[in-house]
Amino acid sequence: MLSFIARSIIQKTITLFFVSVVSFLIIHLAPGEPSQVDPLNPKFTPEMLERFRQEFHLNEPLYAQYIHFYKDLFTGRIVSWKDNRSVLAKIWERFLNSLPLFVVGTLLTWTLSFPVGIRSAIYRGGLYDRSVTFLAYLLISIPGFFFAYILIILVVTTLHVPVIGMETFGLDTSSWGCMLMDRVWHLLIPSILGATGGIAVLSRYVRSQMLEVEGQDYVRTAKAKGLPPDVVHYKHALRNALLPFVTMFGLILPGLIGGSVIIESIFSWPGMGRMAYEAILARDYPIILTVNFISAVLVLAGTFVSDLLYLVVDPRIRL
Amino acid sequence: MVTKRFLILMPMLVMVFLFQSYLWVPTYEEQTTGNPDRLYQYITPSLGDATSLNPIISSNSTSSQIESLVFEGLLDRDEELRFRGRVARSWDIFEEAYFYVNSGAPVPAAGFVDGPGIVQFIETAKKKADSLPPEVRETLRRIQKIVLIPPEERSVVKALKSPSGNQPVRKIRVHIQAPARIKMTLAEINQDLFTNLSRLLGEDYFTSFDPVPFVRADPSVDRQLLARWAGELLPVTEHNPVIVFHLRPDVRFHDGRILTAEDVRFTYQAVMDPANLSPRVSDYEPVKTVEVVDPLTLRIVYKRLYSPALATWGMGILPKHLLNREALRKEARMLGRDPDTFTMRQSRFDRHPVGCGPFQFDRWESDQFILLKRFNGYWEGPPNYHRYVMRIIPDLLTQEMEFYSGTLDSYQVQPHQVKRLEKDPRFQCFSGTSFGYTYIGYNLRRAPFDDVRVRRALGMAINVDHIISYVLYHQGERITGPFAVQTDYYDHRIPPLPYDPEGAVELLNQAGWKRNEDGWMEKDGKRLEFTLITNSGNDIRKAILAIAQDAWKQIGIDVRTDVLEWSVFIQERVNKLDFDALVLGWVMGIEPDLYQIWHSSQTHPHQLNFVGFQNLKADELIIKIRQEYDHAKQVAYCHELHRLIAQEQPCTFLYVGKWTAVLDRRIVIKDLEQNGLMLYKKITPTKTGDYTFHFNKWIKLAEMPQFSEE
Amino acid sequence: MRNTQYPITDTQQALEALSAPKKTRLHELWALFRENRLAVIGLVIFVLFLLTAVSGVILTSGQNPVFDPAMVRLQEKLLPPFTRPHLKALQPAQVPTLGIYLFGTDNLGRDVFSRMLQGAWVSLTVGFVAVGISVLVGVFMGGIAGYFGHESICLDHILAILVLSAGAIFLFMGWIGTGAACMAAGFIYTAVCLFARTRTGQAQRRGIFRMRAISVDTVIMRMVDIMLCFPSFFLILTVVALVPASMYNIMIVIGLTSWMGTARFVRAEFLSLREQDFVTAAKALGVGNFRIIFRHMMPNAVAPVLVSATIGIATAILTEAGLSFLGFGVPPPHATWGNILSDGKGFIFDAPWLTFIPGVAILIVVLCFNLFGEGLRDAMNPKLRERG
Repeated sequence: MLSFIARSIIQKTITLFFVSVVSFLIIHLAPGEPSQVDPLNPKFTPEMLERFRQEFHLNEPLYAQYIHFYKDLFTGRIVSWKDNRSVLAKIWERFLNSLPLFVVGTLLTWTLSFPVGIRSAIYRGGLYDRSVTFLAYLLISIPGFFFAYILIILVVTTLHVPVIGMETFGLDTSSWGCMLMDRVWHLLIPSILGATGGIAVLSRYVRSQMLEVEGQDYVRTAKAKGLPPDVVHYKHALRNALLPFVTMFGLILPGLIGGSVIIESIFSWPGMGRMAYEAILARDYPIILTVNFISAVLVLAGTFVSDLLYLVVDPRIRL
Repeated sequence: MVTKRFLILMPMLVMVFLFQSYLWVPTYEEQTTGNPDRLYQYITPSLGDATSLNPIISSNSTSSQIESLVFEGLLDRDEELRFRGRVARSWDIFEEAYFYVNSGAPVPAAGFVDGPGIVQFIETAKKKADSLPPEVRETLRRIQKIVLIPPEERSVVKALKSPSGNQPVRKIRVHIQAPARIKMTLAEINQDLFTNLSRLLGEDYFTSFDPVPFVRADPSVDRQLLARWAGELLPVTEHNPVIVFHLRPDVRFHDGRILTAEDVRFTYQAVMDPANLSPRVSDYEPVKTVEVVDPLTLRIVYKRLYSPALATWGMGILPKHLLNREALRKEARMLGRDPDTFTMRQSRFDRHPVGCGPFQFDRWESDQFILLKRFNGYWEGPPNYHRYVMRIIPDLLTQEMEFYSGTLDSYQVQPHQVKRLEKDPRFQCFSGTSFGYTYIGYNLRRAPFDDVRVRRALGMAINVDHIISYVLYHQGERITGPFAVQTDYYDHRIPPLPYDPEGAVELLNQAGWKRNEDGWMEKDGKRLEFTLITNSGNDIRKAILAIAQDAWKQIGIDVRTDVLEWSVFIQERVNKLDFDALVLGWVMGIEPDLYQIWHSSQTHPHQLNFVGFQNLKADELIIKIRQEYDHAKQVAYCHELHRLIAQEQPCTFLYVGKWTAVLDRRIVIKDLEQNGLMLYKKITPTKTGDYTFHFNKWIKLAEMPQFSEE
Repeated sequence: MRNTQYPITDTQQALEALSAPKKTRLHELWALFRENRLAVIGLVIFVLFLLTAVSGVILTSGQNPVFDPAMVRLQEKLLPPFTRPHLKALQPAQVPTLGIYLFGTDNLGRDVFSRMLQGAWVSLTVGFVAVGISVLVGVFMGGIAGYFGHESICLDHILAILVLSAGAIFLFMGWIGTGAACMAAGFIYTAVCLFARTRTGQAQRRGIFRMRAISVDTVIMRMVDIMLCFPSFFLILTVVALVPASMYNIMIVIGLTSWMGTARFVRAEFLSLREQDFVTAAKALGVGNFRIIFRHMMPNAVAPVLVSATIGIATAILTEAGLSFLGFGVPPPHATWGNILSDGKGFIFDAPWLTFIPGVAILIVVLCFNLFGEGLRDAMNPKLRERG
């Protein structure tokens, strides 16, 4: 066990190192200069440019820039080129904004997918199953931003309530209950949008896992024994079908960053994805690289956690 | 089965929790849900952030919108566009006119007279004026006082730059022995004063005055230069319009200090201070002196006749005690900056303004919102709204959605939306004509545009109504001249050019252009062809480009079109006068001052009369309008000029755009009647379409109001 | 060489003919596929979409296209679908070909129908080329990892690569002398090694330089891991924003960031195929590695690749639309469905068709690709086949 942990930590660190190198190279070898050091920008005098380049080590060779960057990152001194604010502080602030979106989205995904998937596995081939299957494909195929606009149009034209932003503007004088519920309401639509794809994929996965298990001999035995169908489905079959999902808990971690760019920019949500998008627009390399690095860490941590969970949950695997 | 129930109940609970939040959120209909203060807030959107909130520094529309609420000027314009006193209770305008006694010119029936003689002469003429022509009589009637200023001696230092520029500047002392001068005080400003006086004093009484003998340069300079300086230093006649403002005694700044004439003078000095780089310098350049007579009286003397002068005093008044030299030095020291180079531009006042307007500044979150609170000590009584919020939302669609959901109170409608939003019972719509017009300008220096018949023909070939209805969705109005349509200066009797392609061909034939066998217009073997340009980024101008090209092709004119990037368009083509014809727009002010755009002295590169309009009659009228203080006369001159320009067609005037704004219908005017009763009124736009005129009396009601007149 | 190979192929064909005749297998597949009605609909729409895209590119390109997607008619802005043009306000050349705006017009008065036609081709190209790139890279990487996985990379390989890449970097940085020297050294060493190898066959020269460092499989799988660490949409967005905007860059970037799945599939497939008897037999007969890979193993591994490619096209189309939506998509003058949608979103309350037509079109095409792909997967799934 310990050796497994040690081994995978070493392996993941090496991977992380390569990821950092690759992302650094992608950003720095791409043509064009960050807009702040763009010599075509008339606002910058040559002296300012030179100072800027020195301050951010842009005159040094790539490997030195790389070392500077990651040294600053690990000591927490890295600052954004755009406003000279600490990158980590900025990310933390935006992360707190994105977090509720992520939590509610995940909650919706995981609570909805199971009953839907299980039911369609039980009634395999029936009308319910077929329509759920079709719906799942529909939800996977719909472009997220298009869906977002459909929902916005519906809500705005029929309910006349605000949907954009994190909260209704000018509500700062009302009671905390109102403010809380207002925030929940603003969370609702973006998190539904964030969850649709997840619900579709996960419910399909639940269905196929259930089908697989339902085909096993012990389930057939249980059925033959005359146990009530609910007991067979929910006790015998579900328990074993659940196993692979435990590991998936680890894999949802990276969702914290990726995928929310479009939804956050439609809803003017000041979250991580939007920050990353704005950083890309402004060529704010420290932020892009840091976001990239953090998301790589999350991916690796996610797989690590899921491996560990598998170890804990599945008695068949022993190291 | 517990698992089953759990699996089904969990998502249900989550969903129910999430969806019930809807009940807590204020909707458009129930904006007070959980937020009763909403009715006392006015929230308005803006596409861009403000730059500075100091009225003498900023020059963008968001800034000036906020400034108009935080600051207050001496006066503004009322519903009919007449001047209305704000900080100033009232004002008097009169004139002080001077002329030097020209002892070398004979006065009819009196011979050569000295100073006291002239005074005497005019006084007598005034007494028995009945025999004089009416306009001279009228002029004499206005003269209230005549004073003789005895001869005086003074000297000034002039700096002389060497022509090559590499020698140091020479300082030359000029001694002046000014002759006696007559000062007249006129009850009303009269630009014809000296013309009329010369009928009394002799044709060349003023023109023959030679100032050169009265000046002496030390060390001496060449004659020509001396003559020029003499002309500047001893102007034979001088109009000095004077405005005396009487301020209200009870106007306070938001920090409680009483506003006095000192503050007004300080504001003027701040604008003129080169360190502040104020974009408003040109407005106050004609001012000679600003003197504080007493704390509530201010006397402003102008160097010359300048009729737009009064309007410039609508600018917000700065508090002297917060921005004077000492205050700025103190602030600089606090911030650790060099007190000598620290100016108003660096001051914290820029982002925390203090004025005397109906709202006081509260908070400004960059790129998010600017928050104003109402000012309870406002001299006219505090506004009904408690808060004014300007939200910065760069995306129009987001603005629109926020408006539909009740988190914005107003929305600037785009032309294609007007029809739909006008019908919506939840909103009230206001529309008005904007102050900008779009035109096709021709470079009159180039053939064939030097021929008025060609210009008329070009204008007649274009169906402007067609542009207005299809391109602008009817959100535009045809115009015929360069004055603002809302004002009296615009002459509505002038008919627009008819849409008449055949007539256009006829006119071209008269001008010597004939169709050749390919159908193109031709003269002396040269085809009628030119390039029509405009700037990129404006779809409407691009559409006009295409429509004009097509229309002109119909009458046999070969037009190429080109869309240029704005900086190239302005710097390379317009400023260098390198174009045949262009589609562009002007934004007009209320003041009918056309000097910069239409006067023949402004036709050089980098000046605004780039179409090259030169007309002696028009020049004369433009100057007259500039110097006329009498509204009726000004209007008459404007109409004359308008007709002249419409005749000359230096450019094809197309249309002025219309704007439309929507407001929540529940916003009404709440006013106290004289008998103490509360009265709610529907918001009605003023004659000029300004619906926010009574903004201080606006308030939002919880329910949709029903008005009896509806 | 040729002579020796003919009989083998013949034998194999004969063997195949005996065990599972090809025709019947296809038939069987089709029969299974046909049962899935959704998948058949998907296929039909897929074919329709192909036809539309091809006819779209023919009808909308050239000097005088039948449908001009770039024709601006500002007099005809924001007309709803099925409106007739105001003939009075138009020149003859501006009248739409069909005499009607089938899908309405956009904010510049361009005919949305023509733009959709053109966009269909762009979407299709982006989808196919991007997936083509990703399949090529994926199959190549997966194939190497699966087939040569056991082979090891030795220190001298690493050294040679290091020297070569150092040379490339030097050249890139302008130190031409050093760079050229490094490159030359690297090439000479590689050539010597290859020459020695062909001379001595599989000669085992042991020494410090021939130490086994790491297996090929590990290297490739680590690369896959590294690629998977990047949040894919964010990575694509970054790269697309940094490189100059063009349709080809977008296709390449999407392709290069989505090959990992295919690589894993192919590797797994190859690992199991390699142990099978027919491969061993081929090897024993001295058939070359490449021939084994492409002639014998690839046809057996193609099914999952095909399925993932079909779904990959759907994903690529969605990704392109998302990029267009954020303003990083295929630049004008190309109209893409994503472009039309993102340009039209500002008019959502006044001209909803500008959002709905491209949105629904993307939805339908992506949906049919997904359904078709899933149907294919089901039909090829041996477990389901047993049951059926």
